[in-house]
Amino acid sequence: MGKKGRVLTIVAIFVIAGLFLSNSTGIAQAEKPKIAPPCKQCHQPNEKILRGTFAGVSQKAWTIQIQIGPATWLVKWDDDTELIGAEGFSKIPKDKEIAIAIEEKNGMLYAKSLSVKPPAKVPAEKLMKADELAKLVEMGTEKGNFMLVDSRPALRYNESFIPGAINIYDAEFDKNIDKLPKEKSKLLIFYCAGET
Amino acid sequence: MPVWKKAGNIVLSTPQNLKESIEKDISMVLIDLRKAGDAKKEHIKGAVSVLAEGISKAKDKFPADKKAPIVLYAGDTKSAFDSFKNVRGWGYTNTSVLSGGIEAWKNAGNPVEGGELKTDIVYVPKPRPGEITVEEFKKIAETLPSDKLILDVKDVDEATEGMLVGAKNIPTQDIQARLSEIPKDKEIIAYCNTGVRAEMAYHILKDAGYKARFLNANLKIDKNGKYEISKE
Repeated sequence: MGKKGRVLTIVAIFVIAGLFLSNSTGIAQAEKPKIAPPCKQCHQPNEKILRGTFAGVSQKAWTIQIQIGPATWLVKWDDDTELIGAEGFSKIPKDKEIAIAIEEKNGMLYAKSLSVKPPAKVPAEKLMKADELAKLVEMGTEKGNFMLVDSRPALRYNESFIPGAINIYDAEFDKNIDKLPKEKSKLLIFYCAGET
Repeated sequence: MPVWKKAGNIVLSTPQNLKESIEKDISMVLIDLRKAGDAKKEHIKGAVSVLAEGISKAKDKFPADKKAPIVLYAGDTKSAFDSFKNVRGWGYTNTSVLSGGIEAWKNAGNPVEGGELKTDIVYVPKPRPGEITVEEFKKIAETLPSDKLILDVKDVDEATEGMLVGAKNIPTQDIQARLSEIPKDKEIIAYCNTGVRAEMAYHILKDAGYKARFLNANLKIDKNGKYEISKE
């Protein structure tokens, strides 16, 4: 023991205290999420970014309200806050999906930038026209070397589907991954009840 | 799918769909395209005999309602394709070919029967079991009577895009687990955006002992709860 032992003990106390403190702030953060569940489908949680829906903005108090699950965050902003995807803070529709890049400034959360979610878009080269599909369907899935997936609920699939299509309802997609072809290079074509 | 259908491409339906339509007594037209002898030996109950060879001359037999669900079957899938093109070509948008023909029907364990087939098509449209009329649905949505609960069964993120005023949101796939949130003493009126998930919800609720109905129509709702209903 002796001196060395005591130093170790003191260090240990600090470490334990440190663990305890970080743990308690960890709980506070768990209570107030920084990312809303729907956002997690495409985005990783990030300490420096709040992802949720736009709940309001005050031009007088210079605060933005963002709703993330059950929690509401208040974030300060000013003329330096960059706005992406909207013409003005007052033009953002309520409940629109937004992301705010945050930093701490004078003990307050400050918005470095706010981006409004752009409309989801499938790139043109990933879209297949119905007449192209008709040619493939005529060929058959084997000869054409593709898999056709109907993403609608089973009820809709049962009453009308494109020849060769299998049914994986979009809401149950995650637990049916094994129905997809093993060869990952195989062309996968999805369709639903969309009108695009 | 709508684009595919509109272009007049071949559409199939499953034996499961036919089975359910027969069980639920859903109005539809079922056509046996095979030779009279084969059909007489065994056919699916309720089928009308229209020979594939003669179908191009049978236009007048088909119902006035071009939205009528029509299922064509032969011995296999492909033998019904030419007939499909004829019938679809007359504008019957809900025509389909029974996938796998009568063979697949039988292989799935479904019954067939023998004897003479009818040769005249009779089609009387009737609502699906549990379907509420658009008029009554509108009335309930406007007045929100205390003995009814309007249930929005779309996914949560769809529901946040627009929900009827006074409605409660439980996605169809979560209903079973969240039955405790649904009052037993009220009639539940389910809706989604097309009627499909609402019908699924109706069956779950009915099986769980609830009094329920569903809206079988397209329903568009904006952020403020303003809505528009259209039947297909």
